[in-house]
Amino acid sequence: MAKAFERIKKWENELNICIRCGYCYENCHLVKLNNWESNSPRGKISLLYGLLSGRLKPSQQIAEKLFECFYCKNCSKNCSAKVSVTDIFTAAREDLVEHGFSAEGVTAKVDQDFCSTCGICVSVCKAEAITIDREKKQITLDKVKCQGCGSCIAACPSGIVSQKHGYGITPSELSDQIDGILENSADGKPSVIVFLCNWQVHPGLHMSKMGELIEQKDLPYGIIVNVCAGRIGIDLVLQALDRGAWGVMVAACPFDECEHDGNYKIKARIHMLKNMMQQIGINPQRVKLDYFARTDGAKFLKSVNSFMDEINPMGPIKEAVQTIEAS
Amino acid sequence: MKVDVSKLKGFVGEENVLTDALDLYIYGTDASVHESLASAVVAPTSYEQVQQVVRYANAELIPIVPRGSGSGMSGQAVPIKGGIIIDLKRLNRILEIKPEDMLCRVEAGVVDDDLNRAVKPFGLFYPPAPASSRVATIGGEIANNASGVRSVKYGATRDSVLGMKVVLANGELVTLGSNTRVEASGYQVDRLMVGSEGTLGVIVEATMLLKSLPKFRCLGRVCFNKLSDAGECISDVIASGRQPSMLELMDNIAITAVNTTLDMGLPDVEAIIMFEADGMVKEAVDFEIEEMKKICEKHNGFDIQTSYDLKERTKLFAGRKKLFAALSRYKDGLACTSLADDMAVPYSKMAVLADKIHEIAKKNNVVMTAYGHCGSGCMHTKILMDPTRKEQWNDARNAVKEVYDFVYSVGGTTSAEHGIGISKAPSWKQEKKDSLDLLRKIKKALDPNNIMNPGKLQDAPDDWVTATPLRYSAH
Repeated sequence: MAKAFERIKKWENELNICIRCGYCYENCHLVKLNNWESNSPRGKISLLYGLLSGRLKPSQQIAEKLFECFYCKNCSKNCSAKVSVTDIFTAAREDLVEHGFSAEGVTAKVDQDFCSTCGICVSVCKAEAITIDREKKQITLDKVKCQGCGSCIAACPSGIVSQKHGYGITPSELSDQIDGILENSADGKPSVIVFLCNWQVHPGLHMSKMGELIEQKDLPYGIIVNVCAGRIGIDLVLQALDRGAWGVMVAACPFDECEHDGNYKIKARIHMLKNMMQQIGINPQRVKLDYFARTDGAKFLKSVNSFMDEINPMGPIKEAVQTIEAS
Repeated sequence: MKVDVSKLKGFVGEENVLTDALDLYIYGTDASVHESLASAVVAPTSYEQVQQVVRYANAELIPIVPRGSGSGMSGQAVPIKGGIIIDLKRLNRILEIKPEDMLCRVEAGVVDDDLNRAVKPFGLFYPPAPASSRVATIGGEIANNASGVRSVKYGATRDSVLGMKVVLANGELVTLGSNTRVEASGYQVDRLMVGSEGTLGVIVEATMLLKSLPKFRCLGRVCFNKLSDAGECISDVIASGRQPSMLELMDNIAITAVNTTLDMGLPDVEAIIMFEADGMVKEAVDFEIEEMKKICEKHNGFDIQTSYDLKERTKLFAGRKKLFAALSRYKDGLACTSLADDMAVPYSKMAVLADKIHEIAKKNNVVMTAYGHCGSGCMHTKILMDPTRKEQWNDARNAVKEVYDFVYSVGGTTSAEHGIGISKAPSWKQEKKDSLDLLRKIKKALDPNNIMNPGKLQDAPDDWVTATPLRYSAH
């Protein structure tokens, strides 16, 4: 094996500690989306074994797999042997890049031709993956550090930051999911969109005894599992309201528990949005932001149920607007 | 053997076929130490698609390896002869829950815990409860005949199977068993499929028995200064007619592992037994617990704690629940390998087996622990070794052989619940030596072209160490 892979080699003992129980993919967003085991954290660890044993040669394809991870760390949290799965992935990414193999995976991509280098993306990236090269007047993105949280995508005023692979959570994919839920909602029944963060509350609900409550098909609200609340832009919330949602709820992580500060970012956006709604005569209570830790399943259900109780008397948003206009 | 990928894509859809080298590498592994490459992975979404793939493979003499979540610890889902892996996780619908008949009908890819979550609102549960229930699929559990901590009372998977649908090697879909608790004469072919590890057909659907959730559950923990006392206590509990819903053993190595790695604060004694009783009537549960306490005391058990409280029970059981993972961190440089890890012996031999395991480990320069669902006769152990040193694999090979030689000498069997696969096949063939010919005839009758998971069970290689590449970098 090439010398450049010494970082992975340092983790060999930790790799050997993995007992391959498979708990790591129980809450993995990638596996949940397409049910292929080869997208799982355990699968990625197998590839690193392959590199260490020499049965696999470093390749662009391996880089593609390793760069497809949102670092939600549900794998590490679920790991029965407490293996630092994502730290191992980072070491592997560094080795692969050093070896000349880099891939986009779920990392962000900046369209330099249209970038004004305003630097907003730099300020929102808690992973410190984005820097401005003042001389070249362009944004530089460190793919190893980028965790695909999407905060920069939601924050970019020019809309020129994107992801090649979003696994259901790029703005356009989230937009499609919103449309899908609203199209299937029955006439006259409340239709509400709930964004759940895959860092804390969604895996917590799944693992708890309340998992079945959010998996029922006849819920009065549609759940969209998102990777970080920081990637919910105002445009997505407005889209939901415009397409017929009676209300939108965003479930974020508690303060200081979001690795991307996505909760602070969404808090500022929702505050601004509510002001806008107030000004144009739409009840700002139609949008709710709340914060939940992994073990806050009961709190979440109470919160979403009280939101539904508030939303039900309001009715569809267009009727409300028409009533306002008529009066 | 050349797999026509375009045909596979035609059967199951392009999005449900993998042929990329890395995907195949990952699907060539499971929770065992083995690795081997297939030519393609397909993930069918209907029984008809499974039939089409199997018919094609049978005509072209291409091996088929059915796969659930890949949580098997002996290499059952490793494609030792290559071929096509059928990933059944997309067949994951719960088709029927019938509380009035105490049964459910599910597709093979339904995850055990998901099924339990679905039946719980009816006051029911699906009993086998293997430790891997968070990811293990019902189809995989049947093919492996899985069991777990409560099998002492509720039995193994085979005791919960009422019927099933299976795609045979010729592509035919057959319905086996019944929807009833009892079924009399006739070949019990559904039972034959249980534990067949994918060598006789692809299980695509199962009708499974459900049980009522008990209203009361009481867990006890007792310490012993001699491992043999604990072993004899277990034998006595069962022989005296008690009905524990759990009866677990942990030896000092297991205790040390959870204390040092998870800071559990378990008493530093030679052995611990955890015993549980459950039921609908508290007095009945009390009676069972009191009787078991008396037996523990008779065998020099001390420091007995019992509790009905869920939090207390969780705390008492935490060390046992996290043991496997804790063992993987027992000592730097030692990996926890699932080899010779789930033998079963008659109850009366439990004590002597526990001591023998330690003796064999010492002789062969590896660390082995004795723990497990001893109430159902299952002794777990792991071989803790340095996998990067080739000589340690020879040590492991010798330790495995010596353990099984002893197990057979006292009337035990190779695997209680983890299955045979590749790593236990050489020992299992020794145990079953006078019936191997019969087993091969059965296999030939159902799978004349030997396409169903070939190279496993009776046809597995004689040396597991060299049977396939091993996951660790020394090999």
